[in-house]
Amino acid sequence: MQPFTLLTAVAAPLEIAKIDTGMILPGRYMRRHRRPGHDYGEAFLYDLRFDDAGRPREDFVLNMPAYRDAKILVTDTDFGCGSSREGAAFAVLDYGLRALVGPSFGEIFQVNCIQNGILAVTVAERIVHDLWRQLRAAPGAEMSIDLPGQVLVAPDGTRHAFEISALRKHRLVHGIDDIDATLAYADAIESFERARHAAFPWLPTARRD
Amino acid sequence: MSRTLFEKVWSEHVVVVSPQGEELLYVDFNLINEGQSFLAFDQLRIEKRGCRRPAQHLAVTDHYLPTIDRARGTAGMANPEIRRVVEMLDENATEFALPHVGWHHRDQGIAHVIAPELGIAQPGMLITCNDSHTATNGAVGALAVPVGGGNQLRHVLATQTVWLKKPKTLRISIDGTLAEAVTAKDVILSIIRQIGVGGATGYAVEYAGSAIRSMTMEGRLTVCNMSIEAGARIGMIAPDDTTFQYLAGRASAPRGADWPRALAYWATLPSDAGATFDRELTFDAAKLAPMVTWGTSPEDCSPVDGAVPDPSAIGDADRRRHVERALDYMRLTPSTRLDQVAIDRVFIGSCTNSRIEDLRAAAAVLEGRRAVVPGMVSPGSSAVKRQAESEGLDRIFVAAGLEWRDSGCSMCNGSNGELVAPGERCASTTNRNFEGRQGRGAMTHIMSPAMVAAAAVFGRLADVRRLSDR
Repeated sequence: MQPFTLLTAVAAPLEIAKIDTGMILPGRYMRRHRRPGHDYGEAFLYDLRFDDAGRPREDFVLNMPAYRDAKILVTDTDFGCGSSREGAAFAVLDYGLRALVGPSFGEIFQVNCIQNGILAVTVAERIVHDLWRQLRAAPGAEMSIDLPGQVLVAPDGTRHAFEISALRKHRLVHGIDDIDATLAYADAIESFERARHAAFPWLPTARRD
Repeated sequence: MSRTLFEKVWSEHVVVVSPQGEELLYVDFNLINEGQSFLAFDQLRIEKRGCRRPAQHLAVTDHYLPTIDRARGTAGMANPEIRRVVEMLDENATEFALPHVGWHHRDQGIAHVIAPELGIAQPGMLITCNDSHTATNGAVGALAVPVGGGNQLRHVLATQTVWLKKPKTLRISIDGTLAEAVTAKDVILSIIRQIGVGGATGYAVEYAGSAIRSMTMEGRLTVCNMSIEAGARIGMIAPDDTTFQYLAGRASAPRGADWPRALAYWATLPSDAGATFDRELTFDAAKLAPMVTWGTSPEDCSPVDGAVPDPSAIGDADRRRHVERALDYMRLTPSTRLDQVAIDRVFIGSCTNSRIEDLRAAAAVLEGRRAVVPGMVSPGSSAVKRQAESEGLDRIFVAAGLEWRDSGCSMCNGSNGELVAPGERCASTTNRNFEGRQGRGAMTHIMSPAMVAAAAVFGRLADVRRLSDR
């Protein structure tokens, strides 16, 4: 996982509420393998970015030239609600984004993002509205995110603190994969498992048939 | 100290607490569907990791299976990408030695339908699945948590554990008696309407109150199923006699001397009388009505005797913007009465409403009547299908003009290619009505099985209580 520390990049305002993970990664793209050169970036918000004939919608924010290099998306409420598809986080990452800033996120999606090296931070709605206003007024403006310091810097220099789970911050900043962290507790898992199976011998198991 | 159901089950599964405060929990059982689980298996192969406890997993093919023409096997699947996803789960289950309910298995069905049906979901368990509707299994008093199909699933397979930040607790009590024709689906839609699709984000929900207590197991499964539509990853209901009677004798339920031991343990799980929740909400069951959605989010719903909202009357600017966009997508005119909205097709199925009681409710409406629009019925499992056929429900659906299909996720999200056409309007027993959920440009109205059946009979959204008008 790519570590996330400081990011200064173009930010785009995406002022549409309740974009679910099925809009972020339409179901028909979920059948694909994800490999270098064959990733999920093309599918990201496909039906919002392209019309029925596959032409880019010129009025959609991410199709405007000023936002071509955006690495930060300032989203609306409940971004990423709905399906648990982890591919939605891959689509965000493969499209080239590293951070999402919004008033609220679907919880499964937010966890999926953070576990894949995308910082998805929740800030107050009034801050989001102010960021949108600034980004609309100066298309292509940059924002900064300082994860170790937990500070977001708006285009006009205003600084906003944000909250993030200490564990998620630690793993993002250091690019630590969850499995590697877990394997440090292998003995604890082993003894827990033994005790649990002894105490609850009726727990279901399945077999191959 | 008094504890909630959630706290009791959670604390039983904590392996370690990290220095940063997140907790590593032991997974008793994990369900795996074919939807993107290949990403997890791809990664495990690269890392040369295996599955730690294969017997505590069950691969279930449900999302990509066709619900028709199965006798031809994979050769009957025209779309090579869809066929490949089904084949990959077959191959991955074999390679990783995982038990697998594949598409010709006697138990084949939707994961969240068969886990309770087989008695795999039991009170006090921690269950994971790479599907957002995993909380369905919480209806038996389990802690059932959705995980992402890539890294998170890979983690569960390799370590039999999951990292979670402990959620806050929310008790939603529904007290009183539901009126006639008001179902579990209407209860959960009413909750979502009030608190919104983000209303329970960050919470583990316990559904309680006399209306839940008197609900059947299948109704409870429907309520817990849509917890995620209110933002909650976890939804639970305290186990009681209804739960125990439901589980007794099921294939994977405790047997012999284990049964009384399990019962004694399960009886300790309900929230203690003095337990406190971080938040509490109360609903009056008697005031709830049959619901339909009109917009592009599950919270966009209303009692069926209502009307399409008028954005100009909405004070909150963000809400107004959402409603304007939703009505544009749904091609609806403000203030139109909901029972005047014509539909093009119906779908009865999905992990929300495809169990035998759901099919009975829909069949009761359709018996002796004709659907004036096309539609299909997909039972939640092969066992449900066999049961429905033994009761003659299949003949009622077919006589009404609907297609009687095999079991799978099907048109709920169309992973298997069974889609609602662009510009078509579908009355559906499913769980999501987001833009494009049932197909690009498709318009979805979600409601209970009986309400979908009524819509089929009228050719428009309809109040099942006014069936005699037809």
